[in-house]
Amino acid sequence: MTDNEQLLTGAGEWEFSPAPLVELRGICKNFGAVAACDDVDLSLYPGQIHGVLGENGAGKSTLMKVLIGLVLPDSGTITINGETCTIHDPLDAAAHGIGMVHQHFSLVEPLTVWENVALGDGGKLDPDAVRNRIGELGDAYGLIIDPDARVADLTAGLRQRVEIIKCLRRDPTVLIFDEPTSVLTPDESQQLFKSLRTMVASEGKSVVLVSHKLDEVLRTTDDITIMRQGRVVDRMDTSETTAPELARSMVGREVSLRAERAALGHIELDVATDVVAQPTVTTEPVLTITNANASGPGGQRLLDDLTLEVHPGEIVGVAGVEGNGQRPLADLLSSLLPLDNGTVAVNGNAVSSSAPGAMSRAGIGVIPEDRHDSGVVLEMTVAENLVLVDPQRVAKHGVIDHKKLTRFAEEMIQEFSIQCSGPHAPLWSLSGGNQQRVVLARELADHPKVLVAAQPTRGLDVGAIEYMTDRIREAAASGVAVLLISSELEEILDVADRIVVMSGHRIVGEMPRAGVDLEHLGLLMGGANA
Amino acid sequence: MTTVAKPATDEKRASRARQSARLAEWLVLYLLSILGAILISALLVTATGGDWQSVVGALFDGSVRNPGRWGATLGAAAPLLLVALGTVISARAGLVNIGQEGQLAIGAAFATYFGFLIGGPGSVNIVVLLAFGAVGGALWAGVAALLRFWRGVPEVLSTLLLVAVAGQAVAYGLRWQGLLLAPAADRGNRNQVSEQLGTDRRLPVQTIFGNSYPISVYLSVLAAVIVAFLLARSIWGFRLKMLGRNPRAAQHSGVSQNRYGSAALMLGGAFAGLAGAAMLAGGGFAFGNFQLVPGFSANIGWTGLLVALVARERALICIPVALVFAALRTGSGFVSSTGVEGRITDVIQGLLVLALLVPPAVMFVRDRRRARAATTART
Amino acid sequence: MGFFDAFFDIFTSDSTYLAGALFAAFLLFAATGEWVAERAGTINISVEGMLLSGAFTSAVGYHLTQSAVVALLAGICGGLIVALVQAEMSHRLSADQFVVGLTLNILVLGLTGFLDREIAPKTKIVSTWEIPLLSDLPLIGQALFGQPWPFYLLYILVPATAWMVYRTRFGLEVRAAGENPQSADVSGIDVNKRRRQAIYYAGFTSGLGGAFLILVQIGQFEDSIVGGRGFIAIAAVIFGGWTIRGTIAGCILFAGALSFRLSIQGLGYQLNSELLQSLPFLVTIIGMAFFAHRVRPPAALAQPFVRGLK
Repeated sequence: MTDNEQLLTGAGEWEFSPAPLVELRGICKNFGAVAACDDVDLSLYPGQIHGVLGENGAGKSTLMKVLIGLVLPDSGTITINGETCTIHDPLDAAAHGIGMVHQHFSLVEPLTVWENVALGDGGKLDPDAVRNRIGELGDAYGLIIDPDARVADLTAGLRQRVEIIKCLRRDPTVLIFDEPTSVLTPDESQQLFKSLRTMVASEGKSVVLVSHKLDEVLRTTDDITIMRQGRVVDRMDTSETTAPELARSMVGREVSLRAERAALGHIELDVATDVVAQPTVTTEPVLTITNANASGPGGQRLLDDLTLEVHPGEIVGVAGVEGNGQRPLADLLSSLLPLDNGTVAVNGNAVSSSAPGAMSRAGIGVIPEDRHDSGVVLEMTVAENLVLVDPQRVAKHGVIDHKKLTRFAEEMIQEFSIQCSGPHAPLWSLSGGNQQRVVLARELADHPKVLVAAQPTRGLDVGAIEYMTDRIREAAASGVAVLLISSELEEILDVADRIVVMSGHRIVGEMPRAGVDLEHLGLLMGGANA
Repeated sequence: MTTVAKPATDEKRASRARQSARLAEWLVLYLLSILGAILISALLVTATGGDWQSVVGALFDGSVRNPGRWGATLGAAAPLLLVALGTVISARAGLVNIGQEGQLAIGAAFATYFGFLIGGPGSVNIVVLLAFGAVGGALWAGVAALLRFWRGVPEVLSTLLLVAVAGQAVAYGLRWQGLLLAPAADRGNRNQVSEQLGTDRRLPVQTIFGNSYPISVYLSVLAAVIVAFLLARSIWGFRLKMLGRNPRAAQHSGVSQNRYGSAALMLGGAFAGLAGAAMLAGGGFAFGNFQLVPGFSANIGWTGLLVALVARERALICIPVALVFAALRTGSGFVSSTGVEGRITDVIQGLLVLALLVPPAVMFVRDRRRARAATTART
Repeated sequence: MGFFDAFFDIFTSDSTYLAGALFAAFLLFAATGEWVAERAGTINISVEGMLLSGAFTSAVGYHLTQSAVVALLAGICGGLIVALVQAEMSHRLSADQFVVGLTLNILVLGLTGFLDREIAPKTKIVSTWEIPLLSDLPLIGQALFGQPWPFYLLYILVPATAWMVYRTRFGLEVRAAGENPQSADVSGIDVNKRRRQAIYYAGFTSGLGGAFLILVQIGQFEDSIVGGRGFIAIAAVIFGGWTIRGTIAGCILFAGALSFRLSIQGLGYQLNSELLQSLPFLVTIIGMAFFAHRVRPPAALAQPFVRGLK
């Protein structure tokens, strides 16, 4: 227990106890033939921030879902404060003092902050009591928020605050944060970690930080549990480990490629020989967006005077915190968002923003942020999804030739290594990574002039991320103009030739990748002017 | 993630056993549901003093047993099938069209008006009739399409409200000789009735073994096959399916919701209107006497909609389902002679539809409960 | 007679307001419950069936006991029976809510028609309760305060419903279920249970609405007693932008259209009969054409919720 004593700095008001608050032993969870968790042990101590590190698909989310009662384990024990128990649902978990701040929020937008915080409690609705509590908690942890604001009007960072208060309201002893920084600016992330430190230091709570980003975990946690393929492969004190060691543990082998390190959330700053040589940009831009303005159904501004150019063979990375117009930008180029004014042109020819499929016909391929939203039709087969945009390629006289379709699909499945039970398997039976490959295959099959990739590697494991990134580089090398929209800075820094920053629904700055000033970048992302 | 392996042959045997168990489960559920519906109907009949057995007997007599009856059933099935096909097309595009009753009436009205206006030799006139029937129905559905795609009015409400308006419009037309009303000399002692179609302007009738039915029966089956083929194999059908399942992906892929959606809705109306024209020119069982009257649509629109719903929106399955519903209709005429109120067949119909909704719903819930049970903690 | 004279005549005659109030009340009974159901995220197409069922059961109830109170309670039961089938099939068994609703409407129509021939219940309109002073107000006095007593139930029902949806925990959870069922679920709310309860509430108010038809407005059951007007109640909720005040406004507007025919004929004017009969439906369509674009439905309206399938 000396490790714990070592890590305890600062005076606390609680009593030091060497026993863990929560102990998970031998947790197993299978989904069909796949073991999401395989004999996992985890101990959470008061006064500490525990990091649970692993790549996407390593099993961290499932483990946390077990803890919060959203998933019931097949076997294993959960001991809370020395007592063994079963956690049936989130309310049960709350009763045991475990709370989770979700990655994709659990807020109801049209309702106010206090209504959201009160949601799920029992008993009579007492708005004033809830408002007071929000004030109390805000003061205690530095999470100030207006209880009567509508959640729909709040930024992502403020919404996360509401989530945290929702969690803290139940006075939990264990708080789980699942990938909290993907929607925060670097500044907001700092603030968050300060609040976390307050929680553990002054009240002896235990915080679990689930992440796939090495840097973050190294900076903020006290100890780290590393998961890989459903198992715990290592446990170490944060102060005693380094980034390369963690990376090796996460992936199970020496991680030498910059790409992989980037995928694991470790930003390489030295711009040495392995930076891809930039193409001399003397050619005309393929894609030109000029003064694009678009608004949503409630009148809110989605794109604000946005101007952007992409040249053939160039990879332009659009950096920025989520919620600053990235989605509308991808929607625009997907024929899903009509412009109020402004133009989109491909090779100098204007493209209509309101005609369905016009962008696609003009040679713009899109890998959308949420493939289920506009990228695929889940109920259709793999083959059908591959010809979604251009069924004519397998048809004659308006009738689809089944043999041609099957052959085309088999070719694509081969070329893009799509794992499925066959070309006529329904799309919903494929894993996320493979569904993404279907989208990639389809959009590349038409030899687009422009490829828009929006958060293309989100939720994928390292192998799949590598594949995606390679494919994107290949496309650029063959002359396609690539627009990479990502909220993961590491991804952009790894792949892009030129970086533009989006903030407040417009482009606020631009810089080449070589010699990039990270601080300046962070400032721009946070909303400062170029 | 590690995979949990199992010996291969065990796995295969287990999966086959599971499959046959599931099939059995489905069959049992359907049987029980249908039995349940029949039971409730029987209870209703006996509770009101009727005799269930004679009701069933009457149903069979009226639909197939008595001479000439299955011809009548076929004749009744034809418009039902046409309406159902139109509904299938609209549903494929994700639209909820429940205005078939009105689209049918307007179609019949158009057929009457333009049929008499344009005239021409018999066979040509029949084609004109049917064509304008389809046009009328399409235009009526077009109003709903306009409201939906231009003003955002949900089509479930607009198509429905238009049914009431359609009824009134037809009634109005039947009051004026310039529109639909027959000249006084041809009216007999009825007030609102259109001129009767001349014998050369009626659909040809086929008679087999003493059963007569108009060729609209063949028409509708042919239409079913064509629609099924187009929906399954054509690019148009592919795009319609995309629109219905994921309108945003469709938009990205170049399928205009306005154009394809309107077309689907109007096709739905066209089929209903065609059914109306076919009823007019086919005469036959309870479809007036080759002339337009108020209330002409006789619930064919509503029943056709039910056919499509029961057939789970699959064009070919609409054929047998339409026959069953037609049998209920023709049979019901005989039921009142047993002393039981003829309306009982409406009740049986409704109960059957509900009963057929139960098995898929129950299986869905069971599957999920099983999935959850298979993962409870074993401590 | 001049067009404007006719209009003036209509708007200044008591009968217009009397008839209009009755129609508005009928629509409001149905629309109040439907509003709650739609706020919870479910389109309750079976309103028509609920109204009809409530009308029939209240008629039978009155026929058997001659008591208006029993008739009201019977009407509530009639509405609840339909709600039972709708709620359980679409939000416990996950059957398609449109199909279930449509089928229920047709089923109830057939069933009530069938049973009506067999039972033929005899009913009459209930006695009027005049509220002193208020009922002497010009034009609207009789219409709002001089009606048969079940009419006054609305003065309690509507504010109570609004209070329930906006101020109670139940209402908060109902609204959450209709806007974002995934978030509500994660927060520990049983989404489908709330939706079922909202449908039961709609059955309750629509059952009352059906009883209202028998006891106050029409007095005698016939199977065309609802005649598609249940759908006008749904339209009123949409027209009103899913707020209670908007719904009331919608009901009043559409009631005006419904009663217009009676007013015109009552005052001795002649107008095309078919136009008059279709007027309420036309007004409803036109009303929605104007407002449908400007209103925002609950985000999860008509989207069934199944945990884990998002």
